[in-house]
Amino acid sequence: MTGLLHDARVSRGQFLRMMGGLAVAATATACSTRPETTATTGGGATTELKFIGVADQKAPMDELVGAYQKAKPAVRITASYAPTDQVQTSLRTQLGAGNAPDLHVVYPGNGSAMSMAQIAEAGLLADLSAQPWAATVPAGFRPAFQLDGKTYIYSAGSSVIGAVYNKKVFDKAGIDAPPTTWNEFLAACDKLKKAGVVPIALGAQTPWVTQLITYALVPSTVYAKDPTFDDKQLAGQATFAGSGWQDAMEMYLELQKRGYFNDNPNGTTFEQQTSMVAGGKAGMAVQVSAVLPDFRKAAASPDDLSMFPVPGADDAGSVWIPAGVVVGLGAAAKGRNVEEAKAFIDFLGKQENINAWAKAISAIPLTQDDSSTIDPAVESFLPFTKDRAVPFMDQRWPNAEVQPVHFAVVQELLAGESTIDEALKKMDEAYRK
Amino acid sequence: MTVSSSRRRFTASAPSWLFAAPALAVYALVVLYPAVSGVVYAFTDWSGIGQDMSFVGLANFGTLLGDDQAMGSIGNTLLLTVATVAVQNGVGLLLALGVHAKLKSRALLRVIFFAPVVVSPVMVAFLWKYIYNPDPSAGLNGLLGLHVDWLGDPSVALWSIAGMVVWQYAGYSMVIFLAGLEGVPRELHEAAMIDGAGTLQRFRYVTWPLLAPAVTINLMLSTIGGLKLFDQVFAATNGGPGYATETLSTVLYKQAFVFGKFGYSTAVALVLALFVAAVSLVQVYYLRRREVTA
Repeated sequence: MTGLLHDARVSRGQFLRMMGGLAVAATATACSTRPETTATTGGGATTELKFIGVADQKAPMDELVGAYQKAKPAVRITASYAPTDQVQTSLRTQLGAGNAPDLHVVYPGNGSAMSMAQIAEAGLLADLSAQPWAATVPAGFRPAFQLDGKTYIYSAGSSVIGAVYNKKVFDKAGIDAPPTTWNEFLAACDKLKKAGVVPIALGAQTPWVTQLITYALVPSTVYAKDPTFDDKQLAGQATFAGSGWQDAMEMYLELQKRGYFNDNPNGTTFEQQTSMVAGGKAGMAVQVSAVLPDFRKAAASPDDLSMFPVPGADDAGSVWIPAGVVVGLGAAAKGRNVEEAKAFIDFLGKQENINAWAKAISAIPLTQDDSSTIDPAVESFLPFTKDRAVPFMDQRWPNAEVQPVHFAVVQELLAGESTIDEALKKMDEAYRK
Repeated sequence: MTVSSSRRRFTASAPSWLFAAPALAVYALVVLYPAVSGVVYAFTDWSGIGQDMSFVGLANFGTLLGDDQAMGSIGNTLLLTVATVAVQNGVGLLLALGVHAKLKSRALLRVIFFAPVVVSPVMVAFLWKYIYNPDPSAGLNGLLGLHVDWLGDPSVALWSIAGMVVWQYAGYSMVIFLAGLEGVPRELHEAAMIDGAGTLQRFRYVTWPLLAPAVTINLMLSTIGGLKLFDQVFAATNGGPGYATETLSTVLYKQAFVFGKFGYSTAVALVLALFVAAVSLVQVYYLRRREVTA
């Protein structure tokens, strides 16, 4: 073998030219893009649409992509999913480089780097205002869907934040009905603790989980008293410090002080939190209804689990709840297949498809008809949705920095490394950036 | 056979870089060019998406000086680097000395100690999240009978990450030390033994001076690795709890991809790159001076 190499008649110059040629060829291959988005299969032209979404969207998208391809075989949709952090990294890079997929995940309102307002302001989302479903968006949800009066995101409905609880554990602890006031809530936690289970599982190592207890309480401590708080805050007339946020944080820490959380919440993940409630080691977890399917998958029987609104006030009539538009999708404004991508969103906007998407993630459908179904677990939230519900707080925050600061200060508070005053000061500083 | 003087010169010196030319060309195209062209963004307020961008001069660097989070992360980055460099190389050297001895199972042990190096750092972080389970009956706590919240306690989390990094890369240091040990001539040890030197004296006066090139490489690589540590921190704690494990790399990632401040993030990245380059150059300069040959 080595003899063959020695005998080969290739001069040094030829060898170097050959290597250089290989390098150029490799580079050219690496830099080339797919020449066409339209391929020919079985004699008919096929338009390929690419969708990148977050893991929460997989179940409804798989179902509806299948249905769309039956209705429109000439369009092929390739969907890929990843956790939020990874999608945020790869999608923002693609958006920046000008090669975004035809359809991609978009977060409602403002307040995150992948939110509707931030991407639409950069001119990268197609206008969906002309589609029939866009005209039916309820007035209260419009800030989540629209920027300057134009609709840029499709979302199938809203989810709520409340307590996901294990009915068997509540029964064993002697809790007959879900609590409706803050004092009843504390009493229920006390019963669970005395029954030897963790009253509230908290997986605060997973950053987004840290915010859910404050989000569950703030509607009652802030917005029930002043529904225009967001507007005042945007106008510089209100701050986190000195507002009902202070009360919500105090209530959050009261739960910790009374020993109602699992040990080491900062070292516990969302997955561990889920398994504690589903497996009966904990009574409940404050969570968003969109993850209810995850809890059900981990439980012996899906019927063991249900939800109730976290009562953030001493008077049941003053309890408000957070109900936010669920993560949605938009069409790239500068893609090669803008019209085809918009046509798919138009398809998603049909009532039966809104119903199907909402059902897959236990959400309340954006608009409802006779065939709409609402997960029995979130039925107790319905009386609130008319006039005692507010969107998730971050959806109206002016920049993407406030939310991560909220995550970090809650972890610091749980670790005893900060005070509520310091925490709210940091959030106010981030808000003003 | 006669060979012209010019041909001889070509043979003696040229191939070293000519052979590298194709690789260098590819490296320049896919690494150097994007990196250098990216520097421009450090002087802009680009959000990372869209066309809106204006030049802001040195404003991003001014912001960096007043950014508590970024400045705090420099302290964390340096602590992590010092801890990993010291422990990783110490453990690596001990492992190398151990598997250099005439043991029957030394080939197997070398493979076992090196195995974690080939695993993706993100996978290692996920694996260690299970090992660092705060439950007293699970993971490391269960094994050692402890009640430590490894990744959730702000005073412990940084050292837990350092432990994870040492576990993964001690085998890498071991391999480089091992290569150095293989290059120590046996005659020198024999001569020292005849002179009456014991095991420790032979290590101190024969092995250690001749290991200097391996020490230089190991210290430089582990310092660079420590200063730009990202994957393990991101996957294990995402910089938390609070800001307790935030490093310069996680700060620049968050500025770019979470906060949408691409220009500022590039400025942080530029400062990090220059800092890593400066530390490495100084380190190599001083370490090379103590290198000797057999």
